[in-house]
Amino acid sequence: MTQVVAASGPVSGPVSGPVSAVQALQAALAAEDAAVFGYGVAGAHLSGNRRSAAEQDWTGHNEARDTLAAMISALGAAPVAGQAFYRLPFEVNDAASAAELAVHLEERVTRAYLAIVAVKDQRLRTFGALAMQASAERAAFWRGTTEAFPGLDVS
Amino acid sequence: MLAASAAALPVLLATAGCRSSDAFAGPDPLAGRPALSPEVITLQAVIAAEQAMIGLYQAAVDANLAAAQPTTGRVLVLEGLLAQHRQHLGQLQARLVLPSGSPSAQASSSASPGVAPAQVTIARLRAAERASAVGLVRRLVTVQPALAQLFASIAASDATHVVALGG
Repeated sequence: MTQVVAASGPVSGPVSGPVSAVQALQAALAAEDAAVFGYGVAGAHLSGNRRSAAEQDWTGHNEARDTLAAMISALGAAPVAGQAFYRLPFEVNDAASAAELAVHLEERVTRAYLAIVAVKDQRLRTFGALAMQASAERAAFWRGTTEAFPGLDVS
Repeated sequence: MLAASAAALPVLLATAGCRSSDAFAGPDPLAGRPALSPEVITLQAVIAAEQAMIGLYQAAVDANLAAAQPTTGRVLVLEGLLAQHRQHLGQLQARLVLPSGSPSAQASSSASPGVAPAQVTIARLRAAERASAVGLVRRLVTVQPALAQLFASIAASDATHVVALGG
């Protein structure tokens, strides 16, 4: 039990200054790691189509984790290691709380990818923007509604 | 008297060995409006596209309300998405600062262009949302990080709208 899923990453979300590509990718990797763990928990409380959806999302986050790790390695850095266990932001004991956890995980992943959009490298910006579309779509599925500004705090 | 003084100014400057550009440190007030930066032009284009999207949604809502048997559920969905597009427009316009009196400033705050309600289908809205998401991602690579993040967030919202419209 080493990390709180609810905690935001070091550079996740909107930023005003220059962002290190490696730092932003590492934060996204950490968010994906937490999502893989979280969907494992959520899936255990779901059934039918929603369990299938959770399994599909779990697979997607696993693949994203591998992609991010490869990108970080290609930049000459060591990918952050995932945790064996993550403390959940709230108790998950039924289908409703499982869906709520899925929303929470996707929102956190979306914020992490939004930070990648702030780096200088244009290809990374595009990568981050497309990745956050996927996580925003998954969040909307589990929430049941869309949002005006996924990943962004707009007052 | 005043005209005579103004006419005499270049002569006085010439006598002192100065050009008018040496006399004022700031922008030349006689040189006209400064050119808009590429980022401002990009933002104006995104605002125009958002206004067009709002026009499409408004027409779709109107068409559904005018139908013989309005589909309440569909109208609610369309109104919800329309509200989010209005939020997008508000945030985009808040980032745009133009000199007062600029023709571009007046155009950017004008109403959405009218669209004939009968022409707006759900498929057309889906296509418009998809195109918007693609266009924003294409544009976000050239702007400052904070604006890029707003574009990315709006693009993600648009992508979820495609799904909400059954795409």
